[in-house]
Amino acid sequence: MAEGQGKYASDPEWKSITPIQLDDGSDSGAMPLACIAYPAEYLEATSYLRAVMAANEMSERALRLTEDVISLNPAHYTVWIYRAKILFALEKDLLEELEWLNGVSLKYLKNYQIWHHRQVLMASRAHFPTIPTKELDFLMEMFAQDSKNYHVWTYRHWLIRHFQLWDLPRELEDVESLIKADVRNNSAWNHRYMLRFGPREDAPAAGMVNAGSAMSADEKGILTVVDEDLVDGELEFAKAQILRAPENRSAWWYARGVLRAGGRGVGEWEGFAGKFVDMDSGEVRSSHAVEWLADVYALEKGEKAVEMFTLLKEKYDPIRKNYWDYRIQQVVV
Amino acid sequence: MAQNQAEHEPVLNTERHIKYYLRCLKTFLPSAYTSNDSNRMLLAFLTLTGLDVLDSLNSKTTPEERQTYIDWVYHCQVPSGGFRGFSGTDFGAGKRRPENEAWDPANVPATFFALVNLLVLGDDLARVKREECLRWLPRLQRGDGSFGEVLGPGGSYDGGMAESPYREAHSGHTYCAVGSLEFLRRASVDTRSVQLLSPGSLQFETLVAWLASRQTSELGDENDDDEDDSEDEDDAENNNDTTTHSQTIDTDIESLRLLDDKILSLPKIASIPGDTIPCAGFNGRCNKVADTCYSFWNGATLAMLNRSAVIDDVRNRRYLLDRTQHLVGGFGKVPGDAPDLLHSCFGLVSLAFQGEAGLARVDPALVTTERVVRHLESLPWHM
Repeated sequence: MAEGQGKYASDPEWKSITPIQLDDGSDSGAMPLACIAYPAEYLEATSYLRAVMAANEMSERALRLTEDVISLNPAHYTVWIYRAKILFALEKDLLEELEWLNGVSLKYLKNYQIWHHRQVLMASRAHFPTIPTKELDFLMEMFAQDSKNYHVWTYRHWLIRHFQLWDLPRELEDVESLIKADVRNNSAWNHRYMLRFGPREDAPAAGMVNAGSAMSADEKGILTVVDEDLVDGELEFAKAQILRAPENRSAWWYARGVLRAGGRGVGEWEGFAGKFVDMDSGEVRSSHAVEWLADVYALEKGEKAVEMFTLLKEKYDPIRKNYWDYRIQQVVV
Repeated sequence: MAQNQAEHEPVLNTERHIKYYLRCLKTFLPSAYTSNDSNRMLLAFLTLTGLDVLDSLNSKTTPEERQTYIDWVYHCQVPSGGFRGFSGTDFGAGKRRPENEAWDPANVPATFFALVNLLVLGDDLARVKREECLRWLPRLQRGDGSFGEVLGPGGSYDGGMAESPYREAHSGHTYCAVGSLEFLRRASVDTRSVQLLSPGSLQFETLVAWLASRQTSELGDENDDDEDDSEDEDDAENNNDTTTHSQTIDTDIESLRLLDDKILSLPKIASIPGDTIPCAGFNGRCNKVADTCYSFWNGATLAMLNRSAVIDDVRNRRYLLDRTQHLVGGFGKVPGDAPDLLHSCFGLVSLAFQGEAGLARVDPALVTTERVVRHLESLPWHM
């Protein structure tokens, strides 16, 4: 595309703008690194973007230009910040923006900027004093595409904190349906943990349990006030999920976290884990149960711990042979 | 097939990798990289570092070329301190003003990569606007001490670290958290009281366990399906998960009365002979498939913790060389993927940590070769 032939150069609406061409330093003798074979449309659109940004223009045409640049490069980080500023400056309908954003989100699943933009909009109390009705539905639509999408989970975590949705029945329902669909979805397990045991205030310590300075690091993660019924309920939930998939690490580690939050040790599950491991017949029904027993035994009975670690090393988890050797050394010493 | 794979030892196609990097360095990257335009300083870092790990940067480029690359990095320096991630936000001489400079910002990762790039290229950092940079950087720090993500132990329940407390633990964030502490330690900040860095502490050992647990033979490639079919009978885990997948969640405590029976009715898992698993890469989160870059994120973190020995380096090597190393050079994200700059560099660096012949040794915190670290230490202003 020759200069002056692009869609902006030939559009009367853009006549007043002198585009700023990309200066990659070549004129001053520099050799650019990581040169990309940019599509001609991208080069043209970004040259107009630089021009309106340099003029700090807040206009409808600039807003449309940001949409164009985003479609060519959704990870262009300043274009999103610029777009947000225009939206607020022109007092645009943010629900409409969310509708548009939904489509972009479904198209570019792995994009971070999209979710940051959504958070910037949603953080405006003036526009969103409460959560928009369709918001959680859309997140489930995203999870239908990728139920472990880190950006979406991060955003959902923020939503809960921002709108104080801790006890919204929908939260737990959504998490349960995701775990039901895929019991190995560690993101869903993590979200459940946050709902159940996460601190509910926006504390300066960014939500660390027991973040007081007088506490030793080993006490972190232990709740100050323990609802034993809640802890018991979550342990039963974990057991039921372990029965669905005994080799699922997520459920076993969830149980460890629950016990820890309740200030109760792994020893409490020695009996449950023991049911999966019959040393007499040599029958094992979960390698994670073997690991659990090893961790229980490692607290005191060295020999039995070594027996479990050896079982993992030689039979059920040979990939981690070196790690099990490391654990054996620690127990023997 | 598995037997054959276990027996033959794959090789690093050094010449192919060098060709791949020279192509990335000296010709245009494909237009698919447009979505990485904002991260060109990172792409430059991955290119230069990859070539340097292959010990070929100085032999395959001339001093004049390296000088013009240095000039480009400085071209990306922002007048008010720090570096921009790419030249695309630069309005040109005389057009940058207080009212519009927000659209042409420096950022922290780009500044880090720019400085390392300058060092890799042999520059003495004399043209870095140090005072401006040092005035700019603290302005980004938040009240709680954090810069970008809020990192730190105590957040996740399984030993790893996440983007923020109570988020799902993730190897990339874990690397950043441990790396930040490592830099503090190197800057002579007393980190002896940091539990996370203290062998024997619960936090340290849980973190090592979490990192070791990231190694997986779940590769998520097309061949996996075939293997699963042939090994279904031996694979109690897969059997069990697929047959029970459709069962409803039943949290009713009543249903657990028959717990013993239920457990005993589960299939027993079979012993897994080591030689049936030819290779194992790493994932970044629990229950995800392996991905080349996580060999780096997890391996580098373990290297900083001085616990590299806990991983299965032989299977990691086979995963990288047999499964994600590409015929044309470079590494892909997962088996069958075309190579890209990030996975190529991180694949090589992971192998370098394991002492792969022909590769330079790499510092896990700075992610640069020991040659470059020595150069940094030789600079007159270095502490």
